[in-house]
Amino acid sequence: MAAVETSNVASLSEQYLLKDHEEKSPMTAKPVEETEVKTPSAAPAEEVISKTEETPVVESIKIAPAPEESSEAVTESAEASPPVEASSEESSESTEDETSGDQESAVETPEIKLETAPADFRFPTTNQTRHCFTRYVEYHRCTAAKGEGAPECDKFAKYYRSLCPGEWVDRWNEQRENGTFPGPL
Amino acid sequence: MIVLEWLFLTIAPCDAAEPWQLGSQDAATPIMQGITDLHHDVFFFVILILVFVSWILGRALWHFHYKKNPIPQRIVHGTTIEILRTIFPSIIPMFIAIPSFALLYSMDEVVVDPAITIKAIGHQWYRTYEYSDYNSSDEQSLTFDSYTIPEDDLELGQSRLLEVDNRVVLPAKSHIRFIVTSADVPHSWAVPSLGVKCDAVPGRLNQTSISVQREGVYYGQCSEICGTNHAFMPIVVEAVPRKDYGSRVSNQLIPQTGEA
Repeated sequence: MAAVETSNVASLSEQYLLKDHEEKSPMTAKPVEETEVKTPSAAPAEEVISKTEETPVVESIKIAPAPEESSEAVTESAEASPPVEASSEESSESTEDETSGDQESAVETPEIKLETAPADFRFPTTNQTRHCFTRYVEYHRCTAAKGEGAPECDKFAKYYRSLCPGEWVDRWNEQRENGTFPGPL
Repeated sequence: MIVLEWLFLTIAPCDAAEPWQLGSQDAATPIMQGITDLHHDVFFFVILILVFVSWILGRALWHFHYKKNPIPQRIVHGTTIEILRTIFPSIIPMFIAIPSFALLYSMDEVVVDPAITIKAIGHQWYRTYEYSDYNSSDEQSLTFDSYTIPEDDLELGQSRLLEVDNRVVLPAKSHIRFIVTSADVPHSWAVPSLGVKCDAVPGRLNQTSISVQREGVYYGQCSEICGTNHAFMPIVVEAVPRKDYGSRVSNQLIPQTGEA
């Protein structure tokens, strides 16, 4: 990525824009799109993902009310057209939504509320490795107890996502799928 | 001319190392201010001891010169001076230790409600930064790599081996939790102006809290020998006003999710 960046001489302000990040985004964003398209077919696991996106529990971001309505809009648009077109539609929709104040997806709100995992006094030291791990375990224990996508578990999801490196979360997710996760789930 | 050049050069970078720099860089966090103040406090005692010891040494050399005073005085001990030279050297370290410990523990202080968490992950030889407070799934996150700008691509005014392609943007005047870790070998995340030096150890998450008091661009370098390109993985932190930070993060999030 750096090679691409540096080969064409970009001004400082252009570098600020994190262009390669934007170019990269379709790849990273794809899985999310697929889950959104599949929601009407209601596979339980996928529903969780979409729910976490839609529910107003995502605390960091201000979200307008009526999440059900907005989710309907998403599924409708996704059904109406093939995925690639759907994406363009959605993005245009999102701009419309911003003006009307009714956001379809939480992340697209321009207002970002600064909030993160609070300090946990079980982990008062510099070493926060356990903090991250514990939050991850807590989230999955919570979903096991309260059911997948329970709104009271979302704060734990937010905490572990704030604290754990993405690489670790990916590895742990993989381990959970394989049944080799070392934690008390 | 050379002096002027030096003066000009020393003015150019704001919060980066300067040529012929002797003191620490301008403080941008209370911690760095504390470090600078402690340095000055300790230096007071250092100068005091230096002057006193040199004075004693010079005086002894002068008065007990072998030509001037071939037979030295036959004093072998004196109770008063022995008490004094035991008490005073043991009091001085206390005057140094008290502010030092106060600073040390304030650096370790856990901030109860940090506003954001930024993860700095060291790689051989670049850094990855993750802003995951705004994630709603495991897949998406605001992640970018930060590479140094090669010497050939530098623009006028950029510092050699200090500039990176993607800076860490963070809000000024708010508490920030940095989670520092590494993916391969030990690295270090160090920014002198912010008073931060945190080792990045693979498999461990080190937390450090900073609160940048003024907007600006702060430069730092890797401070743990991490391989051949150890010198080529600098850190650039850009502190922006809070509202600018918010709009910037949302701008970066929209292209990610907007096309989804």
